[in-house]
Order: sequence, then structure tokens, then C-alpha cells
Amino acid sequence: MAKRVLIVDDAAFMRMLLKDIISKGGYEVVGEASNGAEAIEKYKEIKPDIVTMDITMPDMNGIEATKKIMEIDPNANIIMCSAMGQQMMVVEAIQAGAKDFIVKPFQQGRVVEALSKVDK
Amino acid sequence: MDMSQYLGVFVEEAKENIQALNNAVMELESNPNSKDAVDEIFRLMHTLKGSSATMGFNKLSKMCHALENLLDSVRSEKAKVTENLIDLVFTGIDRLNDVISDIENGGDDSNLNVEEITKLISSKSYKDEKRSDSGEMEKKVVKNREEAQALSESVSNVAQKALEEGLNVYSLRVELVKGSVMKSARMYIVFHRIEENGGQIIYSDPPVEEIEKENFETTVQLVVIISMKMKELHDLVANVSEIQKVIIKPFETHKNVKEEVPESPKPEVVEKKETGQTESDRRRIKLAQSVRVDVEKLDILMNLMAELVISRSRIEETLKKYKIKEVDESLSQLARITLDLQSTVMKIRMIPVSFVFDRFPRMVRDLSRKLGKKVDFVMEGSDTELDRTVADEIGEPLIHMIRNSIDHGIESEKERIGAGKPPVGKITLSARQEGDSVVIEVSDDGRGFNKEKIIQRALKMGLIQEYEVGTMSQEEIFNLTFAPGFSTSENPTEVSGRGVGMDVVKKVIESLNGSVYIESLDGKGTRVIIRLPLTLSIIQALLVEIGKFVYAIPISAIDSTLSMKKSDIKDVEGRKTAIIRGEVVPVIDLRAYFGVEELNGHSDLVVTNYKSKKYGFVVDRLIRQQDIVIKALGKLFRETKEFSGGAILGNGSIALIIDVPSLVQKALER
Repeated sequence: MAKRVLIVDDAAFMRMLLKDIISKGGYEVVGEASNGAEAIEKYKEIKPDIVTMDITMPDMNGIEATKKIMEIDPNANIIMCSAMGQQMMVVEAIQAGAKDFIVKPFQQGRVVEALSKVDK
Repeated sequence: MDMSQYLGVFVEEAKENIQALNNAVMELESNPNSKDAVDEIFRLMHTLKGSSATMGFNKLSKMCHALENLLDSVRSEKAKVTENLIDLVFTGIDRLNDVISDIENGGDDSNLNVEEITKLISSKSYKDEKRSDSGEMEKKVVKNREEAQALSESVSNVAQKALEEGLNVYSLRVELVKGSVMKSARMYIVFHRIEENGGQIIYSDPPVEEIEKENFETTVQLVVIISMKMKELHDLVANVSEIQKVIIKPFETHKNVKEEVPESPKPEVVEKKETGQTESDRRRIKLAQSVRVDVEKLDILMNLMAELVISRSRIEETLKKYKIKEVDESLSQLARITLDLQSTVMKIRMIPVSFVFDRFPRMVRDLSRKLGKKVDFVMEGSDTELDRTVADEIGEPLIHMIRNSIDHGIESEKERIGAGKPPVGKITLSARQEGDSVVIEVSDDGRGFNKEKIIQRALKMGLIQEYEVGTMSQEEIFNLTFAPGFSTSENPTEVSGRGVGMDVVKKVIESLNGSVYIESLDGKGTRVIIRLPLTLSIIQALLVEIGKFVYAIPISAIDSTLSMKKSDIKDVEGRKTAIIRGEVVPVIDLRAYFGVEELNGHSDLVVTNYKSKKYGFVVDRLIRQQDIVIKALGKLFRETKEFSGGAILGNGSIALIIDVPSLVQKALER
């Protein structure tokens, strides 16, 4: 059975794009969330294998959400979605427990590679 | 990758972002210390930047990036929120908006002049420095650097000691894929993972501070002390994405590190293997998701729905003759389902008026600044829902009305103070649902309509004659402003003298089956009230018989119905009236009005409501209440104001739909 992925991004456009890339890469997108708080709820509800987490989001950003999810599940596999230039944020997220990151604009190959590596 | 399939969503969302940006910048303008506003603008720019870059609109993305940086310098307090800065951000947003429109219309971002904005940003010397990277990474790096420097002379010695303590020392060559971006963060993950697993990096080439500055191509050479086995360490590092290759081998202590760095003849290369998909027996959870649909498809759905309503009525009509019990049951079920379906389709088409309203605060701000007037703009009931088509159409008329309010209504500050009014003018835009209609009001506390001026202008234009003036009601005078080309200002300003007059406003609103009404008090203010139907195509109507014809009267216009005798109608000063529940109500005999013969002595009275005044319509017979689908009458009947459309009835015949306000008005004129 395909690994189950939760996509977190405030932009519907990005979610749609990621969903396509991820599904085509042989994964099952089991949920989408548009902010940090929603991501936490969805995580508890769905228990996905992998989470792709946007950094900049309204209300609760991706780093906060990553921290909270790691509290709930220390084994969570979270991949940050970063824009170029967000080095410091990525570093913070990695410290919070994120496993890896992918950079916008997304390239199909890179996204799928990150997914395949993270859950080993 | 073919991105065209995402274009629609991209444009839609970009527009939402720009709207939100406008609101956030306005919030910042009125509240320059608002960190939330800055963060919000930053975030929105950031989102737009990411989406644009993904769509391949690089100029657009660059522009967002420049603006994002500007906001960042505000956030880090390198730049102050000044009027200039706000204007600059607004200019930037306007440019973005233009480009999005270009893209929406099939173009691209090639017309965007990024330099214009970047030059402005630098010319106004808003600092646009890179944020100093003083975060955790640097701390870690500094720590490492100190360690590395201290150890560089005797890396071998340290390694030797570690080996004596039973730890492993490895030489690692980490290679990133070509074209990898944010390499420093990527390497940070490598460092982080090693240290998280109790490892110590005692040597790094290039040095960590260079890595942090991204002063390296793709390869980094490390010496690591760790308790892990070689294979484990390899996998740990190789499982970071965008790492092409990890070459690992035991560190040779007797050699100098600098000599160690060049590649050894036979390094152990552990090839990366593909991830196998492991089984997961967890339950699949379905989630409520939303779908974006082309409005055109909704229009088709609505039309089909309308046809279905007609078909149902026809079937019902036909079958009723036979009085079959079983069929009756199915018919009533069908009726219920169609009704549900109809209301669902209608709900899908509804959008909150904020869809239209949201762009106004920015417009009011720009306009009032241009005219040097101070205006407090208040919006109420933005969550009131309206049919999408109506919402699309109503924007322009509202813009015109608000412009009028600012330009002609609100006085200058000086004039206001002189008149004993608060110096800041107030314009209120409100929306609310009233039964089957939505009422939108634009009101201001400005100088109001000057009746004398209107009359003079109307006389000059030949709209009215001198002798009529005395008999005209206030409302009739105000209605003169709806005449084409009407304007009381001698010199039409740039703002509201663009040839789009109140006549266009009225035309648009009437084409939506709505009505517009003006209330004004000289010196106190003006209120323009627009009443629009909730939906355009299906209404509940009362079918009535007049002569041999069937007419439909919209239920929303009806107050009550009653049966009556001829003697109940009295002539009062030449006008027919009836007393209904103690109230004197003017009566219009539609048989006489349409010039048809009465069927028999019997009459029914339909009491309608028009501008909170009651009017009675005398008809031959009430038939029944029914859903009807409004069909336009076509150009030939454009001048026939009494009818808002026609409807096909169950038996295939046609009923004209009476437009109550117009009919009342015409009848009173006679």
C-alpha cells in the first residue's frame, strides 16, 4: 500500500500542484490542511506517514506546527516546503524535528526523492 | 511539466492574495505599528512569489521578492512605515494586479517593469539588506568553527584519541546534486543528523562558515567522530534529499588531514537503493474537499435546472387530469426533489458580497486622498450572499455611486466644519437580505442632493417643463438624476465625470430585475438604495387570470390577496381606491389597464407592496402559486417596462411577468 501523505500549505494552488506530483510519484495523498492548526488536527485524525509542511502560513506557521506535531508523535516524518532564501527557517524547522526540506518552485523529481528518502 | 492546467487556480488565488494585500496594507497605513499587518503582507507576498515562480512567471516572482524584502526590512525595523513606503507598496500591488489581469486574459508577465519598483525601493533608500543570519545555524557553525580550528593542527591526534576510546572516525565526502538550491540548509541537515546521533564533526572543507555562505560547489569533505557503523552513517547522510553521493571510509590517523582530503584510490561507495513501498494497513479516511468549478458550468447547471422545473410543471399539469393516486405520490416526491435540487444549485451560485465590496476600501482611500477629503468608509453585512452573476454586475454601479458620494456628496473639511459637521465625512456601504431580495445601500453624510440645482439642470436639458415643477414630488425630482447625461456639476471632475452616469447605474440594476431608489436631505446626506433579487432565473410567482390571459406576479412583491365585489372599489377624487383592513389603498384595475374584457362579475384583488406603499391590482381570478423560470422577452419588448420577462407554463402557454414597480409607476402616470 502506498505511503500516506498529508499536504499542508495555505495556497490551494500549491496544494493542488503538490498533490499531483505526490500522487504521480506513487503516494497516496490522504489529506490537506491550509494552516498549522488544521495540520495538527488532521495529523491526529489521519496519522499520515509523511507530512509536507509549508513554512509561511497564516495563524500558525509551519515551524510551530512541526513542533506541535513532533510533541504528539516524535516519529513523525515532516518535510518542509521552503522558498528560496528561507535557510534560517529551514534550520529552525530541522531543529524542531523536520526531517528534510524541498524548495519551491517544486521539481517533480526532487519532491519524490525527498519523500522516498524520508521514510526509510 | 505542463503548468497550464493550474493557471485558473493560480489566477484566482493570486487575485484573492492581491485583495488581501490591499486590505493588509490599508490596515498598516491606519496602524503603522501593527506587526500583524506587516507579517500578513509579508506572508501574502511570499505566497504569491512562490506560486508565480512555480508557474514560471519569473518577473512577477522577482517583483514579489523585492516587495517582500521591503516588508522584511520593516519587520526587522530597518525601514519605517511612512506614507511613501505605503504608496510604494500600493504601487507595487497595483502592478502585480495589472500583470495578473494580463495573465488572466491569456498574456504573461512580460509587461511587468520590475526595475521601476526595485529602483523606487532603492531610491527611497529603504534598506534592503539581507537579514543577518544570526540564528541558530551561526551559533552551531561558530562552535564548530572554533572546534575545527583548534583541532585542525592536530585532527589526527584527536582522531587517534577517539579511536583509542573505541569510537569510529570516518572521512566523508558528501556530494549534492547539481543545481541544488539552499545548499547551506541542506548541509545543515547533514550536520544536524550527525550531531543528533552523537557524532562530532572535527574537520570540514570548505570550513563551516564558507558552507554557510554557500561558498562551495557541490562537494563537502568532513571528518566525523561517531560511534555508529560506517554503513549506518552513510545511510543517515545519504537519506537527505538532493544528496547525490556519499563516499565514506575510515579516517587514516597517521596522515595529515590536508593530504587526506584528496580522494583516496578506493573509497567505499555504497550505492543508494530505491525505497520499497512498505505496507500500511491503516484505515483510509475520506475527507471533505472543495472543488473549484468554472462559473460557466454553474450557469449551464442553472439553466438545466430551470428546464427541469418547467418540464416538471408540464408533467404535473398533464397527469393531474387523470387523477391517478400512485402518480400523485411520485409527483409530489419529484416536486420535493426538484425543490431541493433547485435550492442547492442556487446556494452553489451564491457568493458573499465581500467578493465585490473588498476592493472598495482601497478605492475610497485613493480617491479621497486625490480629492483631499477625509472619509471614513464603513462596510456592513459583507457576508450577505448574492447570486454570482448579480455580484459580477453590481460592482461597476457601486463604484460609480461611491465615487459620487466622495466627489459630490462629501464636502471639504473646511466646509464641513463650517456646517457644524464632523470634519471627517462618513460613507457607509451596507448589504442585507430582505426576503427574496438583497438590499444594498450607499449612504453618506455629505451635502445631499440640491433639489433646486437638479430642477434647473433638468429644465436646461429639457427633461421637464416649467409648469411641471410645482407638482413634482421629491422622489420624482431625485429620479431626474437617472436621466442619461445628467450631471449637476458644471465641470465634470476626473473622478466622477467620466460619462458613466446614474442612468447607467439604473440600467444595470434594472437589467438584474432590481430597483434603485434615492433618499436625500439637503445638507444632511444621501442614501441610494438598491434592491436586487437573490437569484435571476427562478422566482415564485402568483399566476392570475386577466381577460383570457395568464400573468405572473412575483410573490416577493405581494402583500396579500382577497376576493372582492365591484362595490368595494370606490372612486375618490378620480382615483380608484379600496379600503383594506381599515387602510385606504389605491387600486389599479389591470383589466382596464391592459384593455381586456372582464370575464365575469367576479374580481380578485392582489395587494402589492411598492416602496412600502400598498397598491391593489384587480384581476379576474387567482390561479395558483408556482415556481416560474424567467425568460427574457427580447429586444422587441425593451420599452415594455411593465413586464420583466415571460415564463413558460406547464401547459406550454406563456405568462408575462408583471414588474410591479414599473407597472405602478406607469399606471400612476396615466
